[in-house]
Amino acid sequence: MDALKQPRPETRVITGNAAAAYAVRLCRPDVVSLYPITPQSEVIETLERFHANGTLDAEMVQVEGENSAQNVVCGASMAGARVFTATSSYGLVFMYDAILQTAGYRAPVVMVNVNREPPGIHAVCSGQQDMIATRDSGWIQVIAESVQEILDLVIMAYRLAEDREVLLPIMVNYDGFYLSFLAESVEIPEQEAVDRFLAPLNDQPPRPVLEPGSSKGCGAHGLGAGYVELRRKHMAALDRARGKFDEVDALFGADFGRSYGGQIDCYRTDDAEIILVTSGSAVGTARTVIDAKRAAGVKVGLVKIRMFRPFPIEVLTKALQGRKAIGVLDRSIAFGWDCGPMYQEIRALTPEIGTVPLLSFIDGLANMDITKPHIERVVDDIQRAALGHDYQSVTWIASGE
Amino acid sequence: MTTTETVTRFKKLPKVTQYYKNEDQFTPGVAFCSGCTLEHNVRFVSRVLGKDAIFVGTPSCSAPVLNGANDGAWHRHAHYACTMTGVASSATGLRRAFLKAGKDATIVCFTGDGCAMDVGFQPLSGAAERNEKIIYICYDNEGYMNTGIQRSSGTPLGASTSTTQVGSTGQGKSTGSKNMPMVMAMHDIPFVATATLSHLDDYAKKLDKAREFCKEGFVYLHVFTPCNVGWKTPTDASIEVCRAAVKTNYFPLWEADHGRFRMTYKTKKPHPVEDLTSLLGKFKHLDGAQLAALQAQVDKRFHVLQSLCAGFTEGE
Repeated sequence: MDALKQPRPETRVITGNAAAAYAVRLCRPDVVSLYPITPQSEVIETLERFHANGTLDAEMVQVEGENSAQNVVCGASMAGARVFTATSSYGLVFMYDAILQTAGYRAPVVMVNVNREPPGIHAVCSGQQDMIATRDSGWIQVIAESVQEILDLVIMAYRLAEDREVLLPIMVNYDGFYLSFLAESVEIPEQEAVDRFLAPLNDQPPRPVLEPGSSKGCGAHGLGAGYVELRRKHMAALDRARGKFDEVDALFGADFGRSYGGQIDCYRTDDAEIILVTSGSAVGTARTVIDAKRAAGVKVGLVKIRMFRPFPIEVLTKALQGRKAIGVLDRSIAFGWDCGPMYQEIRALTPEIGTVPLLSFIDGLANMDITKPHIERVVDDIQRAALGHDYQSVTWIASGE
Repeated sequence: MTTTETVTRFKKLPKVTQYYKNEDQFTPGVAFCSGCTLEHNVRFVSRVLGKDAIFVGTPSCSAPVLNGANDGAWHRHAHYACTMTGVASSATGLRRAFLKAGKDATIVCFTGDGCAMDVGFQPLSGAAERNEKIIYICYDNEGYMNTGIQRSSGTPLGASTSTTQVGSTGQGKSTGSKNMPMVMAMHDIPFVATATLSHLDDYAKKLDKAREFCKEGFVYLHVFTPCNVGWKTPTDASIEVCRAAVKTNYFPLWEADHGRFRMTYKTKKPHPVEDLTSLLGKFKHLDGAQLAALQAQVDKRFHVLQSLCAGFTEGE
């Protein structure tokens, strides 16, 4: 066969939101619920365009609010459908009761959450606080760095959520504005290739679903021991999701030529004495700074958190052990702890990592750009702490400290 | 015992049994209060709609039976329990999933007035506007009975509840109830009807229509369902209360079939509302002025209903 006539992936310059929508279409969902919110609206608009053009064969439910958006996909998922919804910020917290329910029902819902500052101080701005507000909901939470990664991560999300060993809802996060509206050159895989990638999900034993006339129930009361058993099963599934995510990432790499390291991505960490940990769109800028610092002789490495729930305890411990100092750059805050949430969680790993200077940096709240000078300053602070100088445990970069 | 066996055993059965599709799907000894019309209601809905109906419910009086937590008392319907805010939207998800899979399904939301009229109202209104192919039955017991008889927007003017108490300054609820079936009728959906348990033929006919009309769109049934405990009535008085509500025009029986309003039961000489309130402990404190205010509201609502019905002549 003529190699040139083989179907090839298409390359297009599209936004992060469009990339999410392209990925969803490739995964052939049965039921999609849609409700607009800045900066997510383009995701649902793109899906509606696909539907109007006849290239997305799904039940489209234009709900009257995000709470219904989540309940629609939870219900549809429990009836056996593959589902999708997207939200952000105010929408995410408006669906909070349903988010907890979806997790408790172990419904493999795939949801995009375009990170934006939540209610309290009105800011139509980027920030990961919305994701943090739902970190204890029992969902899997993953974070994308680039437009291509958004597309790839949505496809991987279906493979992970619907795995019979996992069966959990998954929230694909990416920074609002910085990634939602950023247009990058993206490789859009062939439909057949995505069908092949997701096909093993159909070879699994069927998951229990609600059916007419079946006498089966969903959401029965679990009291005492029954409750505890279900919670422990949920925790065990989250635990399995860590390794499964690494596996899915590797399988994706084998099929599409792109893999991202699984739960975390380590950049120039092999011989690094100090480490910067961060996530999302700030990672690209951080890589540039790391390269420059390396050129100047600073032995610095970068760890990108791709999976926030379940927290990548083992791989992070391994990546952070034996360093001289560690800094964590958060795009959100941990109320009551006076630090960043990712810093807070890494601090909980101190017994495993060992006691070294651990620095929290808070930056990028409400669309404040995380610039190269900001990250240079972060690396300098970590370096100074490594050399034994006094250091500040928490630094609010954006407020000019 | 099957329905056919029942029919041969008794020579003369109530007419309503001709609507039954199956034997009782509920075990005896369910966890409803003694004399509760909700039990009567849910068993009746099940028998008329058929055993393939999928119930969607929430934490409520019906939850212990519909959703489990009541070991040993059970039913054979598929059911889906969700949050109070999520009934109509969950039902939407189920229905759309079955539609996509080419499966036929009768989805029946079964909630109290607190869910339908208060906290779950937005999703209900949304599902009606989208004309989802589901049946929504609100069993109206005029308050949050499961949580201890608190007021809801279904609680009538003057009623005493645990959050609208009667005392030296409290006079019961200071505002009237939301006219919910009328609100739903204004959503212009295929079928809206009221029903109650003293008029089962009427209810059965409406459930029959509901089963057909939900194939084309949203169906809303508002069912007057007295609560002995909350309304402070004897356990054997429930059906009498239902009948009094109809005879006083407090709860008239009507339907809007594709927007055509019609009284399905005509009270020739409406009784004064006092014929109902005198049966209920929750109204025993009402003075003359309060009674007059409640009567005025009943009359006003009935007048609006009559005007809507007047535009359509019967048998047309």
